[in-house]
Amino acid sequence: MLEQQLVNGLTLGLIYALIAVGYTMVYGVIELINFAHGEVYMFGAFLCMMFLTVFGAPLIVAVLLSMVCCALMGVLLDVVAYRPLRNAPRLAALITAIGMSIFLQNLAMIIWGSRPLPFVKEALPAFFKVTALSFGDVKISWMQMTIYIVAVALMILLNLIITKTRTGTAMRALAQNRVCASLMGINVNRVIAFTFALGSGLGAMAGIMVSMFYNTMYPTMGYNAGVKAFAAAVLGGIGSVPGAMFGGVVLGIAETLGAGYVSSPYRDGVAYAIMILVIILRPSGLLGRAVTEKA
Amino acid sequence: MRGVTALLGPLKYLLLAAALAYPLTPVSDVYVLHVLVLIMVYMVLAMGLNIMPGFCGLLDLGYVGFYGIGAYTAGLLTLNYDLSFWVIVPLAVVNGALWGVILGAPTLRLVGDYFAIVTFGFSELVVLFLTNEIWLTRGPLGLPGIAPVSLDLSWLSTLLHPEWNWRYDFYGETPYYYLGFLMVTVIYVVMRRVEDSRLGRAWLAIREDPMAAASSGVNLFEYKIIAFAVSSGIGALAGAFFARWTMFLSPDMFKFWESFLVLCMVVLGGLGNIRGALIGAAVLISLGEVLRVVLPGLGLPAETRFLAYGLIMVLIMRFRPGGFFTAVAESTLTSPLIMDLRRTLAARKTG
Repeated sequence: MLEQQLVNGLTLGLIYALIAVGYTMVYGVIELINFAHGEVYMFGAFLCMMFLTVFGAPLIVAVLLSMVCCALMGVLLDVVAYRPLRNAPRLAALITAIGMSIFLQNLAMIIWGSRPLPFVKEALPAFFKVTALSFGDVKISWMQMTIYIVAVALMILLNLIITKTRTGTAMRALAQNRVCASLMGINVNRVIAFTFALGSGLGAMAGIMVSMFYNTMYPTMGYNAGVKAFAAAVLGGIGSVPGAMFGGVVLGIAETLGAGYVSSPYRDGVAYAIMILVIILRPSGLLGRAVTEKA
Repeated sequence: MRGVTALLGPLKYLLLAAALAYPLTPVSDVYVLHVLVLIMVYMVLAMGLNIMPGFCGLLDLGYVGFYGIGAYTAGLLTLNYDLSFWVIVPLAVVNGALWGVILGAPTLRLVGDYFAIVTFGFSELVVLFLTNEIWLTRGPLGLPGIAPVSLDLSWLSTLLHPEWNWRYDFYGETPYYYLGFLMVTVIYVVMRRVEDSRLGRAWLAIREDPMAAASSGVNLFEYKIIAFAVSSGIGALAGAFFARWTMFLSPDMFKFWESFLVLCMVVLGGLGNIRGALIGAAVLISLGEVLRVVLPGLGLPAETRFLAYGLIMVLIMRFRPGGFFTAVAESTLTSPLIMDLRRTLAARKTG
């Protein structure tokens, strides 16, 4: 059983990691907990389902369209809600973020109803059900394999964008010192918008994969996943992208093991408890550097 | 403007008298009374939460956790030990404040954002605990049959006369209306006094500029802990009242939405504005009651009323960050220094 738990935990963890990088990148650049990120993830799943059913698009097209739409949504979120408050007290931006999160969640409830919806089964390729690998009792389906491959590929891509491209360099510069970066000729607002787009696109992908894996989606799914992904970001050290990936995987495995061996009703509690403990004992996270409060 | 302020004085007392007399008038209605008592519960919650984001500038996203702790403390003590409401209230408050200190001691040293997340996680853990520890809380079944509040003075009456029995049980909404009124008044007066005290000034200094406050000799950590303990205690007080009023508790009542609703009240009334918090509670609960009827008529689930609350918060932060009722401290308005300055400025303008 342990091996199967590990496999399932890894699936969950990679998905958390994909959401967590969105939190951590935005935090790195503008020091804001973007509470609405979980809702972008939820919209990713619902938009994909909409493209599949309403427009009859093939799976790949629907997924890509949904990612693009969510990236645009992330940019819109920044431009409409956060940009006007860039120089306001942090409390104002934080409250706005929560307000946007609640707003988007209820918007989804109005559009798609509050009941859970299944993922469109017909759109999934048939080989997803087939077992890809099996070691003894442990079975990994092709769907899980796809999740692993897509998540890892996206994270490698993200790392390349951050380390190799000019925009990625600009993002890192912004994370170090925004004023200085703008003096070097970096268009601060454009880079922040790009950060939101990148994080939201990955979040959308995570949402799609979760709804595929569990075959369900509901408007409040972003709320729990968002907090857990944030916990993952904190665990890895907020602001650190490799940390978020690592934290996501650790949290996913810890959650499945906790649910399997400690107590299944407290499944969600494991994530919260880990988060609180990390914040109390090691606020800079496992891979993060010590941060001091910026005045 | 001055004319309006002059009118507001007597009008205020008139409104107060009308509010006090309302349940005794023939036009009083059980449903309206119920909503009014609910408003009072939320007024207390809003005033309590206001201490954290309003006075100290710290975002507390798990306020409902302390509300729940207070409610379940009261409910369990009533069911298991049959204690009187008047004994339970201080116990619940102490329990709430204690959890505030336990949670605040390690986390209030950290950056403000972490505090928001830790409080959020805490309130989720509280709900999980209440749902899953069935031996204690009966889990999702809830706690039915909590005795109502009673005022038992039979020990005094039997002392005076063996046949007298001074015992009054609070049935119906009217006694709770007056009890709630008392609770709101006490908390309001305490908050107003604290606001202008050494403690309140220290909190406001922390909010405005922690570094300046620290260099003026304010022990940041100590004052933040006090703030969190007081805030949590008030939340627990509201919870204790709520438990004995509704006589039924279930973990569903203490979900994240409630924290959000209370925060929205504080934001609407203006962060740090005590009167604003009262108005925010009255406005949002009334709005909620209206939307509860209107929304199903439009074919939407009643929960979607939170769409409006979310929008309110975003818009207020964007366009009126001081809240709808921006406050100026009374001490500032009546300070001779400020008044002198105003006079000079006015003279310069005319001259």
